[in-house]
Amino acid sequence: MKRYGSIVIAAVLVLGLLASCQGGGQPDSNAKHSPTSTQDPSEYNIPGMEETASEVIVAMGPTSEPESGFDPALGWGAGEHVHEPLIQSTLTVTNPDLTIGYDLATAYTVSGDGLTWTVTIRDDVKFTDGQPLTASDVAFTYNTVKEASSVNDFTMLDYAEAADGTTVVFHMITPFSIWPYTMAIVGIVPEHAYDPASYGQNPIGSGRYVLKQWDRGQQIILEANPDYYGTTPKMKRVTILFMEEDAAFLAVQAGQVDLAYTSATYSDQAPAGYTLLSCRSVDNRGFNLPVEGNPLTSDIQVRRAINLGIDRQEMIENVLNGYGTPAYSVCDQLPWYNPASQVEYDTAQAAALLDGAGWTMGADGVREKDGVRAALTLLYPANDSVRQALAADFANQLGMLGIAAAIEGVGWDTAYDRAQSTPLIWGWGAHTPMELYNIYHTGESGSAEYSPYANPAVDAYMDQALQCDNLEESYTLWQKAQWDGTTGVTQAGDIPWVWLVNVDHLYWTREGLQVAQQKIHPHGHGWSIVNNVDQWSWP
Amino acid sequence: MTPRLNQRQRALALLIGAAILLMLIAIAGLCLNQAALITDFSRKNLPPSLEMPFGTDWMGRDMLARTLTGLSLSIRIGLLTAGISAVVATILGGAAAMDRRLDAALSWCIDLVMGIPHILLVILISIACGRGAAGVTAGVALSHWTSLARLIRGEILQLRQAPYILAAQKLGISKARIIQVHMLSHLLPQLLTGLVLLFPHAILHEASVTFLGFGLSPEQPAIGVILSESMRYLTTGKWWLALFPGGALVAVVALFAQMGQYLRALLDPASVHG
Repeated sequence: MKRYGSIVIAAVLVLGLLASCQGGGQPDSNAKHSPTSTQDPSEYNIPGMEETASEVIVAMGPTSEPESGFDPALGWGAGEHVHEPLIQSTLTVTNPDLTIGYDLATAYTVSGDGLTWTVTIRDDVKFTDGQPLTASDVAFTYNTVKEASSVNDFTMLDYAEAADGTTVVFHMITPFSIWPYTMAIVGIVPEHAYDPASYGQNPIGSGRYVLKQWDRGQQIILEANPDYYGTTPKMKRVTILFMEEDAAFLAVQAGQVDLAYTSATYSDQAPAGYTLLSCRSVDNRGFNLPVEGNPLTSDIQVRRAINLGIDRQEMIENVLNGYGTPAYSVCDQLPWYNPASQVEYDTAQAAALLDGAGWTMGADGVREKDGVRAALTLLYPANDSVRQALAADFANQLGMLGIAAAIEGVGWDTAYDRAQSTPLIWGWGAHTPMELYNIYHTGESGSAEYSPYANPAVDAYMDQALQCDNLEESYTLWQKAQWDGTTGVTQAGDIPWVWLVNVDHLYWTREGLQVAQQKIHPHGHGWSIVNNVDQWSWP
Repeated sequence: MTPRLNQRQRALALLIGAAILLMLIAIAGLCLNQAALITDFSRKNLPPSLEMPFGTDWMGRDMLARTLTGLSLSIRIGLLTAGISAVVATILGGAAAMDRRLDAALSWCIDLVMGIPHILLVILISIACGRGAAGVTAGVALSHWTSLARLIRGEILQLRQAPYILAAQKLGISKARIIQVHMLSHLLPQLLTGLVLLFPHAILHEASVTFLGFGLSPEQPAIGVILSESMRYLTTGKWWLALFPGGALVAVVALFAQMGQYLRALLDPASVHG
């Protein structure tokens, strides 16, 4: 019977291992091992080096490490989660209020038909190998990105060409008024030193930082570009560590990092010497409510009742420990947001809508209409505990409206298909109005891509917005696509999605570290925080 | 003075006690299935108390209900595994022992299945069977018969050459009667003991697969799911999320292993009078 005894012993050992992890979480046990590290943030990487006031160590999640390296054509900066490429310069930048400013560009114009963009650029910019950055580098970059990018949509671009040394002309296939937002994320690569096979590992750019070292799976070290044409970066050296959330928390407790990402789970902890930095975000979570294919959500009154009858603030307190804001659209507080999206929580009104639509309360507290029970399955991605908790809270709140909801975890391999008829909790939020298009615009199949929905009026506004030759005017059109007074995607309109919360992005910051004012963070809890790391400072 | 029980009686009493306890866990889990899914954010992250003996997790779920439901699922999967394994092992083991060529083929099959790392095999089968509860059940149930089949085969081969069987044949007793009277009575204790000792294996494998995320979706209460969730909350000091469910799993596994011991003590001819 030795074999079975050993099974039991193995099980006990595994348990012991789990329990001992908990011991590691105590601040004291860690402090013992690294008594000096609280004073010396650089100790983690460069033993012996004095702490200077111009370096910072940041911990990010392992998924933030760019798999293909720092090549814009392979998604650096312009991938699923957009951010400033740091190593390369971009033509434009997004301002703190998400309007457009200039980086390399000095001016841009667009032709009346929206098909030709002419951008003039600075003439004093050099790549870090000493070669000047010219319009032909810009044209080369965009033509390369259009060819190679698998993560970004460049189908609207025909080709780019350099008219002279400082003027680049983009020829479009279709008008695309929000092109400046695309120009804000594409880092310019040098034509003379670009090899698709190796550029990702050895990027040469003209941006604020130079890639000094990359230890795959561990860390990236960036150093300030001494020849940078703009304001000299205050932080001379930026080390990015990639670690899981619990490892990042332990690193904070051990004083090994200056800033580390964290989540609401840890927000009630208080590691000594650190404060919690909470950044507003448009990193929203919401359910699609399929307008057909689902007996319950295909009823517009049900969708309206759900949108009205959800207490978003309670959800934020319950799941996010208060670190979040109510979401009413996919683009809350951005220049193209229509405030008409906002609704007041009102269960009585929600119940009245359901009653009016014939969904009468049954004896068991679940509504019914013509023998159909108001039952709903809510899907969530199986590996995301925050979305699971949001889905569970949402289900509880639907229960109070008389809708019996059950939650089910799914993998992304089946989630997209199942979302066509079953609500799934999604996360969105980007610094471009294109997201409205991706979610609400009718695709080739005659329906929107992620959830069945089609409204020609909404489509028309978004098409107009893209064809518009004035960015300001296009904002108005994007807003009208959400609600124009008679139709749209808001409460009074078709409400094909219900938006719940914007998740604040939380970080532990070492006391004294001045993190420069953050733009409202987009989806993805990664590189956005270091968009302006060059302006951070120590006292 | 109360009469002292002898070793056989004590073993029998403990065996019955253990079986009843496990059955109660299985039934309690079935009854608590709904309670285990309820989330109540007003009582989240509560440490163990009289009201909530196992505490609650970050969605305010009752960990006692979840643990019992998870154990119940494990025990039921173990039961099914044992049943399937017993049938498959008896048929294949018996067939192998009767015919030499069939024996070569079946032994090769058993070696093949045993050659694949066990957990890998369980994962492969459960994915092939469509994941979810059905996948896990199929994966665990269809991968544990090999060792038992090999045992039965060896036992029959040995019995066929045993002097009393040979003598019975010479005396002209029919084959069916030899199997019925002489072989089955000898095989049954082996089979039963092997069967009970399959439980700990099956339960731990089910827990491993769900822990690795190949099995049930995370809102389902399975012991592996509970343990893998608890990992995320250990660094913030929520020790009760791992300790009680993990301890309960170890206890159930140990209980089955003990049951196997008692059963062996009662049935095995070599230890029956020990």
